Amino acid sequence: MSEPDLLLSFLTKLNALTGGVFLLSAFGLVAIRQMLTCLRLYVFQSLLLAISASIIGYHYASIHLFAVAALTIATKVIIIPWLLRHTVGYESYAKREISQVINIPASLLIALGITILSYCIASPLLTAAGAGIFERVNLPVGMASLILGAFAVTVRREAVPQVLGILAMENGAFFAGVSIAHTLPFIAELAAAFDVLIIALVMGLLALKIRKTLGKTAVGELIALKEE
Amino acid sequence: MANKIIFNVIQVIVVMAFAPLIKGILNRLKENVQSKRGPSIFQPYRDIWKLFHKDEVVSENCSWIFRLTPFVVFITPIFVTLLIPVLTGYPLFFAFMGDMLGGGFILALGGFFATLAAIDTGNPYGPMGASRTRMVGFLAEPVFMIVFFTVSFIAGSTIPYIVQKHWVTPLANFFEPSHILMLLAFLMLIIAESGRIPVDNPSGHFELAMIDESKGLEYSGRGAALMKWGGAMKFFVLCCIFLNVLVAPWGLAHGTEYWEVLLAVPLILIKIIIFVLVLVAIESSLAKLRLFRITEFLGAAFATSVAAMITGLFLM
Amino acid sequence: MELLCILIISALAAALSLIPMGKRFAPVVTLLGTMAVFLLSLRTALATVTGGEVVAVKDWLSCDSFSALILLLVSFVGLAAAIFSWGYIDATVEATEDRKIRRYYSRFNLFLFSMLAVAIFSHLAMVWIAVELTTLLSVFLVSFESTPEALEAAWKYVMLTCMGAALALFGILLLYWGMSLAATQAAFTWTGLIAASPKMSPAILYTAFLFILIGFGTKVGLVPMHTWLPDAHSQAPSPICALLSGIETTTVLYCIMRLLPMFQGSAASYAGRWFIIFGLISAGVAAFLLIQAKDYKRLFAFSTVEHMGIILVAAGLGGYAALFGAMLQIVSHAVTKSLCFFSAGVTLLATGTRDIAAIRGLIRISPLAAIFLMVGGLGIAGAPPLAVFLSEFSILKAGIMNGQYLVIGLLALFLVVAFFGIMYQINRMVFGSPEIILMDERTLLFGRSIIPKRNILPLTCIIALIITIIPVILFGIYLPEQLYQLFHHAAASLGRM
Repeated sequence: MSEPDLLLSFLTKLNALTGGVFLLSAFGLVAIRQMLTCLRLYVFQSLLLAISASIIGYHYASIHLFAVAALTIATKVIIIPWLLRHTVGYESYAKREISQVINIPASLLIALGITILSYCIASPLLTAAGAGIFERVNLPVGMASLILGAFAVTVRREAVPQVLGILAMENGAFFAGVSIAHTLPFIAELAAAFDVLIIALVMGLLALKIRKTLGKTAVGELIALKEE
Repeated sequence: MANKIIFNVIQVIVVMAFAPLIKGILNRLKENVQSKRGPSIFQPYRDIWKLFHKDEVVSENCSWIFRLTPFVVFITPIFVTLLIPVLTGYPLFFAFMGDMLGGGFILALGGFFATLAAIDTGNPYGPMGASRTRMVGFLAEPVFMIVFFTVSFIAGSTIPYIVQKHWVTPLANFFEPSHILMLLAFLMLIIAESGRIPVDNPSGHFELAMIDESKGLEYSGRGAALMKWGGAMKFFVLCCIFLNVLVAPWGLAHGTEYWEVLLAVPLILIKIIIFVLVLVAIESSLAKLRLFRITEFLGAAFATSVAAMITGLFLM
Repeated sequence: MELLCILIISALAAALSLIPMGKRFAPVVTLLGTMAVFLLSLRTALATVTGGEVVAVKDWLSCDSFSALILLLVSFVGLAAAIFSWGYIDATVEATEDRKIRRYYSRFNLFLFSMLAVAIFSHLAMVWIAVELTTLLSVFLVSFESTPEALEAAWKYVMLTCMGAALALFGILLLYWGMSLAATQAAFTWTGLIAASPKMSPAILYTAFLFILIGFGTKVGLVPMHTWLPDAHSQAPSPICALLSGIETTTVLYCIMRLLPMFQGSAASYAGRWFIIFGLISAGVAAFLLIQAKDYKRLFAFSTVEHMGIILVAAGLGGYAALFGAMLQIVSHAVTKSLCFFSAGVTLLATGTRDIAAIRGLIRISPLAAIFLMVGGLGIAGAPPLAVFLSEFSILKAGIMNGQYLVIGLLALFLVVAFFGIMYQINRMVFGSPEIILMDERTLLFGRSIIPKRNILPLTCIIALIITIIPVILFGIYLPEQLYQLFHHAAASLGRM
């Protein structure tokens, strides 16, 4: 095997590995009980996103994607955890989530079903587009993480894991995006990163307000407005 | 041809001889990490020697199963040793007698007999521990199956010698996502099957909380020695499957000279000791899970293994 | 040029409202800002009446006739809401909490800014960001009153709409992928996508369409993703409810409808079918849920879901007549819904309760509130000769002429059910002997029954009500020529003539 082929095969395998662990961290966001571990898992997931963006950027020799990776690290690995810790308040992170809407093994099984579903949706797209090796990994994993994040929001009862679920959805969309939309103008990426920051800020402040008014952040227990 | 039979015999002798040593090293390292001095690494040998020279006391109410079980528990890992790569990278004389599924079933046979024997005596703690062991066992079965299926599908065969070639021939194959996820799933499986923290406390003596230790509760003398030795060999065999087939299939002998095979012995011991270090790190940093949280632990292992299968199948 | 000015003025007004210069400063700044924005958007709309396009920055900021229509609508309702807020906030918030008042006005301006941005931006990624901003900048407006119910409503609002926005982001990225694979030199704007869509692979186009429909559909309030809408649109203060129901859902619906011309020819029925299915389900479920509403603001919120369904069905029916009807329905719904929420606001000021069962004889308690509530209720239910009747009638007519009898039959049924639901509740409130039966919270014990004295409603509230009631009555009978041309070009731009 010639040199560039060996390097390419190594990069693809590494990218596929990042994809696999990214998927696993999305499972973790659904099933892990401690909130601080969920936050660390989200940071780890964003780091994986940055790594994948760098790999693809190296392959396409695009400075733009490296800038995206740097932006991801700056916002999602450094700023957002700091924001979430300081707006919601450290005490809420020392807790474990004791009850969830569905028990953990069942939600893991549903998460597996969701992953299979997203692979089924993604394969006709990939064959129709004649996709390269990077899209084959990133698109299904990104879609799976998107839907898993939505599932995490419905299954959790506490405020912070729900916020992390939404942020994981954005992570998943960007994970797919770095492979399929890597020529998007940089200003759009910048604005989107800023947007994610505002999401974290708004949700953190709202969670703080809820905690101050109601004394706890168990938002799953707010059912006063349900239809009878 | 005769060489291969002799190498097979050497494999079995290596497993029999060094299994208690690995157990001893594991226990001592655990104690060292906790800033204690710990027993000598040869202590399991002395324990087995002492037990062989003691009298055996057998309850009047038990059947032939109780007397047969220590032999079954001792022999099943030896059978599995004949099937898996321990020292050599090429198939030996008995290698095609059974594949990985067969090996898994033989190990399960030993566990089955141990469970039955625990119920046989009429001691109240025996059946309690036996039912818990079965719970962990049946939850771990799907993980075993899925891992084996994935490995066989990707590598194209169920014989461990053929499978292990797949991960090293292009080195990049090592980093395949299905491979790494499978490693994680199998690691969680080893922890569950050999009864280590976070599933079970191997050094606890409190019968109400025992899961895996309960199988050896009632034995004394020769029976206890065989159960201990068999348990150590099962752990050694699981480590060999994990390391030689999945993780690090390097350092195995490829030629048919005697010195190559004998050189592989310290290499496999070094690999297992490194794995023991990892295990000690895990054991010392986590707490034992409450009983019904074990289902979540094994559910996570199952999810990991299915994720490995999905990424392996769809990224083909 | 005007487009940039519009954005800058509303952002500036938001910043200036925070300056603590006396009680009247923030409302006056907001009022002046929204008036300037309205005049500028009027000018933009007039410029596009002939079918042309107003371009500020090529491929990034531009307005064609459809977006100019939405821009005009947003600024009109914004102006009316600004006028209404002046009196409403004065009456409901204590004079000492001036920080809270200033924050309200600056958030109001920011919210308006984001909605204007949705209409002005033409690059799809920026449109998505603007839609996401409409949620984020209005969350604290929804939870303005800081009661537990308001906080719950705000949390559900932010969670569900951000979920939808993430799904839509994925759909937009898929569209970008499809476009880059089609290898045209078109920019990633609405018009560029229409040009590139015949060459895009159908699998990608359909999947992206579904993701965007479901994602943005959550923000519009389509069933079954509508669960946040009744809560958020009833717990917010009334002028904000007008903004949320009248224009926020409309701007996101505008984004969804813009996807329609990408499906030409045989694919057109695919998109149309999905629109009709979602629209009919939303209209039906909302019509039946209306009947059991206990809170009159929730009643109007369900009516919003229903009207969004109707507009979507009209867009799905296709053909020039139905699209024209959809445009007319967008405008009439926006102004009528603002009238409804403003009258709900003054009713709240006059009676102090949001409960329908608690209020009787509103016509004697506060005649002005009752009259406006009655007209608003009649308007939104679709009674002639008000604006909504005309638009619904044109949609039904277009459908019958197209030959889609089943769809039109179901739609007519839902409209009738909603009409009776709304009118029953409003009649109960407006007529009868005047009393307010105050029920104890959660225990439904009938507490005291009071006969309130006549209230004086704030002057600005009444002015805002009059401003909004004029188009409601006017558009039912007469459509100005320029407006007609604007509708014509907007419907044509959704293409499939």
